[in-house]
Amino acid sequence: MTVHLHRVVVRHAGRTLVDVADVHLEPGRAVTVVGESGSGKSLLAHAALGTLPAGLAVHGAMSIDGVPHDVGDQAGRRPLWGRTLALLPQEPVLALDPTMRVRDVVAEGAPTFARDRRAARRAALERLAGLGVAHAAGAYPHQLSGGMAQRVAFAAATIGEAPVLVADEPSKGLDVAARDDLAALLRRHVEGGGVLLTITHDLDLARALGGDVLVMREAEVLERGPVEQVLTTPTHPYTARLLAAEPARWAKAWMRDGGPPEGSPLLVHAEQVTRTLGGRRLFTGLDLDLRAGDRVALTGPSGSGKTTLGRVLLRRHPVDSGRVTHHDLARRRGRAPVQQLHQDPTQSFPAFVPLRAALGDAVRRHGVAPGRLEELLGTMRLDPGLLERRPGGVSGGELQRLAIIRAMLLHPALLLADEPTSRLDLLTQEETLDALMGQVEQQGTALLLVTHDTSLAHAVADREVVLPGGVTTPTAVLAGR
Amino acid sequence: MSTDLTAALAATSPAPRTRRRPRLLPRARAVAAAALVLVVLLALVGPFVWGGPALQELSRSLEPPSLAEPLGRDHLGRSVLSRLAHATRLSLALAALSVVTSALVGGLAGVVAAWIGRWVDTAINAVSEVLVAVPALLVVLLAAALADGSLLVLYVGIAIAQSVEWFRVVRARSAVVLAGPAVGTARMLDLSAWHVLHRHLWPELRPVLLTLAAFGVGTSVIALSTLGYVGVGLRPPTAELGLMITESLPFWSQAPWLVLAPVLVLAVTLLALLGVRREEPSA
Amino acid sequence: MSTGAPAGTATTPPDVTDGDRTDQDGAAPAALPPVTDGGVGRAVLLLLVRRALQAVGVVVAVTTACFAIMHTLPGDAAYRIAAGRYGYDFVTAASAEAVRAELGLDRPPWQQLVGWWGDAARLQLGTSLVTGADVRHEVLHGLGHTLQLAGLALLLASVLGIAAGAAAAHRPGGAVDRLVGTWVVLARSLPPFVVGLLLVVLLAVQAGLLPVAGSGTPAHAVLPALTLAVGLSGLVARVTRDAVVHVRSSEYVRFAQTRGLGAGAVLRRHVLRNVGTTLVAYLGVQALVLVEGVIVVESVFAWPGIGHTLVHGVFWRDVPVIQGTAIALALAVVAVNTVVDVATLLLDPRPRETAVVA
Repeated sequence: MTVHLHRVVVRHAGRTLVDVADVHLEPGRAVTVVGESGSGKSLLAHAALGTLPAGLAVHGAMSIDGVPHDVGDQAGRRPLWGRTLALLPQEPVLALDPTMRVRDVVAEGAPTFARDRRAARRAALERLAGLGVAHAAGAYPHQLSGGMAQRVAFAAATIGEAPVLVADEPSKGLDVAARDDLAALLRRHVEGGGVLLTITHDLDLARALGGDVLVMREAEVLERGPVEQVLTTPTHPYTARLLAAEPARWAKAWMRDGGPPEGSPLLVHAEQVTRTLGGRRLFTGLDLDLRAGDRVALTGPSGSGKTTLGRVLLRRHPVDSGRVTHHDLARRRGRAPVQQLHQDPTQSFPAFVPLRAALGDAVRRHGVAPGRLEELLGTMRLDPGLLERRPGGVSGGELQRLAIIRAMLLHPALLLADEPTSRLDLLTQEETLDALMGQVEQQGTALLLVTHDTSLAHAVADREVVLPGGVTTPTAVLAGR
Repeated sequence: MSTDLTAALAATSPAPRTRRRPRLLPRARAVAAAALVLVVLLALVGPFVWGGPALQELSRSLEPPSLAEPLGRDHLGRSVLSRLAHATRLSLALAALSVVTSALVGGLAGVVAAWIGRWVDTAINAVSEVLVAVPALLVVLLAAALADGSLLVLYVGIAIAQSVEWFRVVRARSAVVLAGPAVGTARMLDLSAWHVLHRHLWPELRPVLLTLAAFGVGTSVIALSTLGYVGVGLRPPTAELGLMITESLPFWSQAPWLVLAPVLVLAVTLLALLGVRREEPSA
Repeated sequence: MSTGAPAGTATTPPDVTDGDRTDQDGAAPAALPPVTDGGVGRAVLLLLVRRALQAVGVVVAVTTACFAIMHTLPGDAAYRIAAGRYGYDFVTAASAEAVRAELGLDRPPWQQLVGWWGDAARLQLGTSLVTGADVRHEVLHGLGHTLQLAGLALLLASVLGIAAGAAAAHRPGGAVDRLVGTWVVLARSLPPFVVGLLLVVLLAVQAGLLPVAGSGTPAHAVLPALTLAVGLSGLVARVTRDAVVHVRSSEYVRFAQTRGLGAGAVLRRHVLRNVGTTLVAYLGVQALVLVEGVIVVESVFAWPGIGHTLVHGVFWRDVPVIQGTAIALALAVVAVNTVVDVATLLLDPRPRETAVVA
């Protein structure tokens, strides 16, 4: 089975969202479209599937095994769904009916389901077993971990034996281990002679899948070719910029080997700290000292309790046993030495208040020098006009930088950054972290960075605390870059 | 949905996935607001223009509408328009008073419970858990049994019944806001309690309060008129909408306007109240 | 009085300060929490305990209120009770004294209140002060009529409301949707007695199709049931519409479609299930509206149920009757909600973030 897309154009209200000349999908070779949000990569995939929302103007031609289809006629491909074309959903937990057991969801997609439910059920169990999640067959979606839900969704999407599989941002929210797992599943589909089109912003996933890669930006394909070529020796400057934004390739002034100067004062002393959450041991007997200017990454797979550990160290979360002592981190008027950045900055600002008012309250409360706010805005290349808006009217990257400004205005001694860039594109991530680390370097702030991205942790931190997840004793790893 | 698809969706579909969309057109809201203004005018100005709601002129019993007496006279020869204006004033005044009272009592209790938490929350919440199972009309009826036609006791009953609603809504909203990361950040920034109230809590509660208030006025108006209609509310000869309907029902075939006038005022008031609300609170 | 709308969350809000929401999903397959039905059993038990406490609280509140009413009545309580027992013509000072001693009416008020609670707990509801009838008997008798009326109304409202809601959800924003929206607004804003009045005038007085009030023949039930159903149907239609729109735009319905399930299968297997869960949960809110409606509609149409009895009791300030009927109605609300809670728990396996209130 081969699929050819020819001159696919998607427009909305005079704007061209997708304009792609041709894409060839062949069995046995993965094709991955990479690009940032808004590049039109998802729309391209959904145009091919026929799952675009109404209201978009779609044009183009495609052929599936030589049979021509009009891409503009979205409903025309409905009969192919499940048997010829399959979609691996973005957020598997949401894609599974919350009121149904996993095996029933998987079984209803089996070709035999309408005729013989027993056989469909058997097929579902076999498929789940083949993916190593047979024990989840009787579970409900909310009981699954992220990685398991991904496998169940994979089983449900592929039980119809459709040769063409489209995966739309399948690694969203997955940690490294689960992502590798997913890549293996997708490769298995390709190796079995299937056609695979993957949409992702995750360059590592693209590398893991192999085959060909298309780089999209602003509705167009900028560059295409074999993954190993495009993602090592790119020809288009945009691809080069994208690659350079990967943390592993950073070279920044604030990066350093080793830690803070000898004899920096102790800020946090954690002794034999243990915490259990929802019946699971997150960490046991953990010892950790934080000194002024320290940069420590808390890493581990999702669910390993890294955020919990961060908040335990801030003494904003209880421990089951052990002790966390703070030295000179008490809060008083004019001094708020402990600050936190959130994964989703919109949630850390009052939603209905202009940003100027929200930041102004902090400026007044702490007697921040006049002009300091504007100065920081300038340093971070933010338009002061943004302050007249509400948090919802500012992009995620800009708002996170405003959150950084708000925190750093107060010269905190310790900053907990909780996955501050995990929702941002590569380029925005680089810009945001650069802004943050510039201030951290300048002010000598101690940083606790919670992240699931090990290369980011390597780039930013002097030390890492790796929470293994599922295992009871954590290993504190000293890692240089 | 990946971000660009979501953006496209949001840009294209007229009814996005949000469950709360304005149910009524802006024009309908304007009409509702205008109707409400008329009713309020009738209540505020009417009693001064058309006095003497209890003045009987038996010789003019069931007099049909005329220029001088636009709604005619009832079976006891009383001016219907005068009675209507007084009844509307009574209904709206009681409703406004009940809403203010229940908002203060229930709303403050809700904020306090959410802010302090722990046993204070547990205690107040236990009371509300009990009261919420008692239909508001039942509370009002018990008050009516206690009242013996006293407006004051009825008012207390209506206010109590409504306070529960205010408490539950305000507490639920406040608790989410206060436990949220935005307030957590504000606390880390050592911002004042005033900042939390003024920048976080109030903007979040304000739209709900308006909805609850409109809802509460409607509930009070219905409660008072229902009690009057079934004969356990205020006593004659008080001019009250429910009472007026009951009293004039026997004369439906001779003088239908006697029944229709108070029914119309009730319907217009309640519809307008529902219409001015920006959205219906989703259940 | 049809409330039920701003239904706040009843449980404490999720601890949002514990930012690591991803803590919920462990990566290792071994992290699958065991699928135990014991969890459901425990949840049901907890729920029953909570509802039982609520029921006790309700009875205490209602009886205390009735005790207060009793004590505000003018005149001598012992005389009134004696009159209730023996008839006004046979009350003597001696019989009143006997009642006073027997009921301990000379004790301090708080002791009397405890005794009063004890009587209610033993379901000794006493006799009517007006007719002398046994209140327990009156309540049970009325309850049958009330349940008939409520059941019929609920059935009518469900059929009307679900059909209208589903039709409206077919094309959100379309003509049908707006028409149903208007109906919802009208049905919700008009008090039941006005709706009843309009129906009486239209169908009984003017058209002469149905009896105005009373009971006995099936035709007598039509108008009261219709009146109740009109108000309820608005709520049902709105909830149905929103639920259908929500479910149909959900990721799991889209995923089912792209897996090749036909429209019928998607409807049967996913839409109906999830909409049904929402509707059942919503029945609990309806119980409040229904009880309030029953009280009014029974009085308007002289339907011999407990709502009518209650209003009569209030009119004559017949405290034992008020107490018996009020307890029955409040407990009915608790009972309906308990059933709804258990049903929801069994229908929807998800841990519930918010409890259904009321």
